[in-house]
Amino acid sequence: MRAEEIASKSGQPLVDPKPQDYAPLPPPYDKYEDEPIAELTADQKAKWEHSLDGVSALNLPRPESKEEEERLVRAFLSGLEKLLQKENNWTFLQPLTLSMEYCARCQTCADACPVYEMSGRKDIYRPTFRSDVVRKIAKKYLSPGGKILAGFRGHDIDLNWEVVARLAELAYRCTLCRRCAQVCPIGVDNGLITHELRKLFSQELGIAAAEIHSKGSVKHLQFGSSTGMVKAAVVDIIEYLEDDIEEKTGKRIKIPVNKKGAEILLVHNAGEFMSWPENPMAFAILFDAAGIDYTLSTETIGYDAVNYGVWYDDVQFARVALTHLNIARDLGVKKIVIGECGHAHKALSVIADRLLPGQQMIPRESSYTLLWDIVKSGKIKFDPTKNDFPVTLHDPCNIVRLMGVVKPQREILKAITPPGRFREMTPHGVENYCCGGGSGFAIMGSGNFPDWKLRLSCRKKVQQILGAFQGEMDPSVKKMVCSPCSNCKGMIRDAFEHYEVYPKTGIWYTGLVEMMVNAMVDQEQPFLEWPDEDEDE
Amino acid sequence: MDILQLLTYLSGVVFVVAFAAKLLKYFTMPMHVRWELYPIPHEGKPYGGSFFEEVDHWKKTRHKDHMAQYAFMVPEILFIRALYEDNRPLWYVTFPFHMGLYLSIGGLVFLVIGAILQIIGLMPGTSALAQLVHSITIILAVIGFVLGAIGAVGLIIRRLSDPLLRDTSVPIDYFNLVWLGAIFVTSFLVWLTDPGFVVSRNYLASLLTFKPRPELSALQIINLLLFIGFWAYFPFTHMTHMVSKYFMWDKVKWDDSPNVGDAGVDAKIKTYLGYPVTWAAPHIGAEGGKKTWADVATTNPWTEQAK
Repeated sequence: MRAEEIASKSGQPLVDPKPQDYAPLPPPYDKYEDEPIAELTADQKAKWEHSLDGVSALNLPRPESKEEEERLVRAFLSGLEKLLQKENNWTFLQPLTLSMEYCARCQTCADACPVYEMSGRKDIYRPTFRSDVVRKIAKKYLSPGGKILAGFRGHDIDLNWEVVARLAELAYRCTLCRRCAQVCPIGVDNGLITHELRKLFSQELGIAAAEIHSKGSVKHLQFGSSTGMVKAAVVDIIEYLEDDIEEKTGKRIKIPVNKKGAEILLVHNAGEFMSWPENPMAFAILFDAAGIDYTLSTETIGYDAVNYGVWYDDVQFARVALTHLNIARDLGVKKIVIGECGHAHKALSVIADRLLPGQQMIPRESSYTLLWDIVKSGKIKFDPTKNDFPVTLHDPCNIVRLMGVVKPQREILKAITPPGRFREMTPHGVENYCCGGGSGFAIMGSGNFPDWKLRLSCRKKVQQILGAFQGEMDPSVKKMVCSPCSNCKGMIRDAFEHYEVYPKTGIWYTGLVEMMVNAMVDQEQPFLEWPDEDEDE
Repeated sequence: MDILQLLTYLSGVVFVVAFAAKLLKYFTMPMHVRWELYPIPHEGKPYGGSFFEEVDHWKKTRHKDHMAQYAFMVPEILFIRALYEDNRPLWYVTFPFHMGLYLSIGGLVFLVIGAILQIIGLMPGTSALAQLVHSITIILAVIGFVLGAIGAVGLIIRRLSDPLLRDTSVPIDYFNLVWLGAIFVTSFLVWLTDPGFVVSRNYLASLLTFKPRPELSALQIINLLLFIGFWAYFPFTHMTHMVSKYFMWDKVKWDDSPNVGDAGVDAKIKTYLGYPVTWAAPHIGAEGGKKTWADVATTNPWTEQAK
């Protein structure tokens, strides 16, 4: 399909991703038949734009008049112009301009994209498809003489509301994993163009996925957490965590909160407190046992490490990042350590690094690094036989491909599992595949988007996980995916539920610190819980 | 000075000015936020690791493994390793094409050196140095023309035969390849009619000395026009992707320099935070450019609501 077809006024979806086209899964799913993506209801179809692929992630309302359509198209073009101005987009102007100007259309990136591959190579999901549409619009409508020989020069695309609406949805069919950029022989970054497209929609038109904007970064800035959790609730939750730790370990641990002058400010994805409280509990147990001088914060925003702006909006991103840094500075800590949250790692460690003059920055560090240091120090004794089951490791893109933290988590797993129990996925490390929940997909659940992500964006990860345990698929043999990132865990949880992975294969998931505590010699009861154990209880 | 010489000078001037403007545009863009992508060769960790793997990395002296970077870049530039690994069918045609370009440009450079030697009286028949330069010129140029022509034709066939490439190629892609292919083919034919590149060297010498040019055959004139036309056109195309390769790799994908209080970096950040913002979405609160980045980034529009 040519990029120009995105301007089709038929009102019909450009593609219909059907299950028979999806890439196959390995045994025991080799004969698995997926249900088609649920169609939107007639009412939803009437209300929402869905002419990209029949899916609505944004629930984008149709314009009510021709004038509104034209206003939105003009606003889109104005936003695109601003993306290419240094005043409005100094943050990404250089990489964006380079990626806009130099694609040689070799399509080497296509096969690096898990969504494109898993969909059965549907053109609209190809990394260059959406980028080419954006490039063509910029060339035709924004460059001097852009309309001269536009057909010959390959950018004779019509800009109409259909294009804008489809691009808005298309910006949310890519997980921003940047595998495409990794293989481009020229260095073009089509993932970045998706990121910038999301920014354009958010910063100029106020269009973004509700789960990451109005229910995400706005809630974070308004109440203190994207979960909606307010400060008083966090204080209560931390007390509950202490109770639960005592119940599980027989030892009362005081979790330090707002401790001025502590060495470390530890920040968790607040989703962990609600969905996987054993994760912050495990951190508390390990840090206590290792004698780490740290604190949590219960300041508004400070108790939630997430920063959804990193996926779609530079201003929302900066507001949250600067608050995180201010809270650390007020506490007088020497560094911020980021818990098991991939995008929080990248947001605070990498992207935020040039938001303030250097002297105002607080050093940031990955928890993986500190945890590996704890293991090496010998301060905690581990018994690997307590984790005597096959284990594989999921690499969160934000921490591995985008930060280069590759080895610590592997070294930890090797230290806390018996020899031969840990096996890699193929490929892994910096060449890993996204869990499918990247860039906000893990938390996005509007319209029929959940159906889309469960069938397409996470399919590659499911394929990889199954691949890692081939030959051991007997469900009675318990197997574990170590996924040290909150959003990745959320996506894997949902994928496992959709594909009924545990009952069919015995594969479950957890974080890294949970496995570490499970292997502690001092830990008398197993810390890890398997789903059937919950049922038994 | 005749029209051909004038056009050649003009083409050179356009090339230099346009190329310089292109470089200047990228060099003067604001420092962007970090957007690195691993593996980064200068980290010296072939598995893709970084300084982030070390506890208190900011307290340690950073060591950049420049040899690892060169070991990565040289095969990448010369042999297009990324395509060899990730898109082998395309590599089979694009490698000879690019190698043909490199060798042809090398041949041209040696032809210019030969013309300079000729101006100072060193001719291939009488000077060992001039003879060596002459021999290298012919070897580089002829192999370059053949490889380039094979590559250009191969790329056209590849774009026409591969369904995905066919769907995504545009007329100008074929136009560029035909143009370059024509330069390679006519250059090869020029060599057949003038195996020592005597006329070409004399023409270059005339350009260097601002003297009347030698007589050129119709084939040589066509070849010259094709070449100088492309020379002037090239800086305006995406074919200058060696530029993006340098910036995208060295200044973006591999730019992992931490912000540790460098005065120059601090000054840049302060400047950028003072830029006016005109993003129009209500939550930005830019007020049509009255607010700066510092203003909008330090304002929480929901603080009052939260209270």
